[in-house]
Amino acid sequence: MRLSFIMATAATAALITGSATADVKFGALYPFSGQLALLGEESARGVEIAVEEVNANGGVQGEDVTLVRGDAVDNNQAIGEARRLIAREGVKAIMGTYSSSRSIAASQVAELSGVPYFELGAVADEVTGRELQYLYRTNPTAEDMGRMSVQMIVDEIAPALDKDPSEVRVGIIHEDSSYGTSVAGHQERFGEEAGLQIATVQGYPASTVDMSSLVLDLQGRDVDVVMQTSYQNDSVLFLQQANESGFKPAAIIGGGGGYSMLPTAEAVGTDVIEGVLDVDFTQYTVDPAYAPGMEDFVETYREKYGEEPRSGHSLNNYVGAMAIFAAIDGAESFEPDAIVEAVEQIDIPEGETAAGYGIQFGENNQNERAKMMGMQWQDGKLVTVYPAEAATSEMKIGQ
Amino acid sequence: MQTFLQIIANGLMLGGLFAIIAVGLTLIFGIVKVVNFAHGEFLMVGMYLTYLLTTGIGVHPYATAAAVVPILFVFGAVTQRLLIQPLMHARDEHIQIFATVGLSTALMNLALLIFGADIANTPNHGLRSQIHLGPVRILEGQLWIFLAAILLVTGLQLFLARTNTGRAIRATAQNRAAARLMGINDRFIYVLTFGIGAACVGFGSALIAPLYPTSPTIGTYFVLIAFVIVVLGGLGSIPGAFFGALIIGLVDALSGFYIGSDLREAVVFGIFLVILILKPSGLFGTRVSQSHVSP
Repeated sequence: MRLSFIMATAATAALITGSATADVKFGALYPFSGQLALLGEESARGVEIAVEEVNANGGVQGEDVTLVRGDAVDNNQAIGEARRLIAREGVKAIMGTYSSSRSIAASQVAELSGVPYFELGAVADEVTGRELQYLYRTNPTAEDMGRMSVQMIVDEIAPALDKDPSEVRVGIIHEDSSYGTSVAGHQERFGEEAGLQIATVQGYPASTVDMSSLVLDLQGRDVDVVMQTSYQNDSVLFLQQANESGFKPAAIIGGGGGYSMLPTAEAVGTDVIEGVLDVDFTQYTVDPAYAPGMEDFVETYREKYGEEPRSGHSLNNYVGAMAIFAAIDGAESFEPDAIVEAVEQIDIPEGETAAGYGIQFGENNQNERAKMMGMQWQDGKLVTVYPAEAATSEMKIGQ
Repeated sequence: MQTFLQIIANGLMLGGLFAIIAVGLTLIFGIVKVVNFAHGEFLMVGMYLTYLLTTGIGVHPYATAAAVVPILFVFGAVTQRLLIQPLMHARDEHIQIFATVGLSTALMNLALLIFGADIANTPNHGLRSQIHLGPVRILEGQLWIFLAAILLVTGLQLFLARTNTGRAIRATAQNRAAARLMGINDRFIYVLTFGIGAACVGFGSALIAPLYPTSPTIGTYFVLIAFVIVVLGGLGSIPGAFFGALIIGLVDALSGFYIGSDLREAVVFGIFLVILILKPSGLFGTRVSQSHVSP
């Protein structure tokens, strides 16, 4: 039955593509147009650089890798493009997707077709944990984000304030879509486990135009640390309105999105954002000794695209893609089960990838060694401050 | 007590902001009888113009109103003439609504193409500095917006009540067929009104841009609440839009503090529903003329 399936697939592929080439095709499924295009494109660049590097070193199993793009502009198109990549292009595996909802939609299609799907950048918990056999994720998740922000409070902020973690009062605010809600949920859970005093957990719509009431509320609760999971608009709004109300908690920890981007710092002013912490994917200010290959990546990026990387997304996608290609290179064939078997064997320790974190797939095919990094705005720049082995600067807490 | 006063002040300032956006919408709604879903994108266009002019020539953002208001006027007038007017005789009037939805999406994606998804910051020239009014503090820019909203509402009211053009506009709104019989060029009135409505939001955008980062989707943040205000105040009522905006601003600020930020939209829309049930025509509304249905 298996053989007949393979023969049928091969026959169909031959019919559609006309002639077989020596190249092996992989799909790159990202939002290349629409709202998420900027960071979708940025993510895909990481995979493109990985493909170039792999091909320069002899390809995968002796064959050159060709990357076929699919534009996941929305969930429906993500499904359509996944089908096209699998049926018409005959890709051996799909990499993607930056957006969690598109990843969830497209990976179902791949699973049904028995094609491996490698998620290199989407953070929602639900991407893994759906008992999909062919879906693997290399990047850190919403849970890692929550864990990292609480660790920073326990390890660095509480000692700097001369307080026991049980004396630290924390306010958690988040935009109320599934992204903010799930990160905030993890922050609350890890925070309670660590014995922090969770003073309040409050959601708000990301499209809010006024956060002054929320700021007054946090002020009234006398919190030491505010954790915000947000997009760009609400990050700017909160930082501005907190500053204007004279609300100065000992630390503000932002989660990804708006907090990592330079335009946010420009919008609120470098003096206002000074000292604000941020938990996100590995960025380029990480200690190069902890992330070997990161500097080469940046150099290749500059040469290829003629500009600086616009965010850490490309780096994280590059790291995931490199590990996957290396594993497939050692596989017996490009059969889905051979690929999966090889990927299961990946065992890269921390400190040996260009993003710092190691790679080994555990429960639910999630990379158990994936980690977010703790960063801080210092002198108008976002520098890595946590964990110590990745840090390039000291964390500055309190006045 | 001080916190309470601060919340009231925040609510009033927010109301002023909503009012300056909603006034143009209610004008178009009440006179041309078109639900303009692209109103938020008019705001977005105005804010980008303010941003470009402020950063390009380095003038004070308020000074850009001299250019932004006429540009938006033309933009609105052209929208009416080229998009809405040809659809006036369509079999179903709702087609006009879908046309504005299309315009909204097109403008948003055009902005995405030109400016990208990142935010654009208009230099604020000190408008984010604080003013202490007794026990409360507000931003200088917020105060100007509030005062400008009052000025705009009063000015429009006077224009509609005292000038011949204003009377013609009101006549067309009340009974289009009768207005035509009196020699009023109703098509011109619609083009003019749409232009004025867009110009109002252009005026607002020059004031709002220094306080809020501009992005292609900024319009969607304001437009839903603007619709609520317009319906709450009574379709087409300019004082209604102003007081509706203040009510919504206050409710938003108070419920955000006393009930919780996650529930404030529920409270705002709950109160909106209650008022509509008690007074379906809105706070300042009169019965809507159906005369525009006649040929």
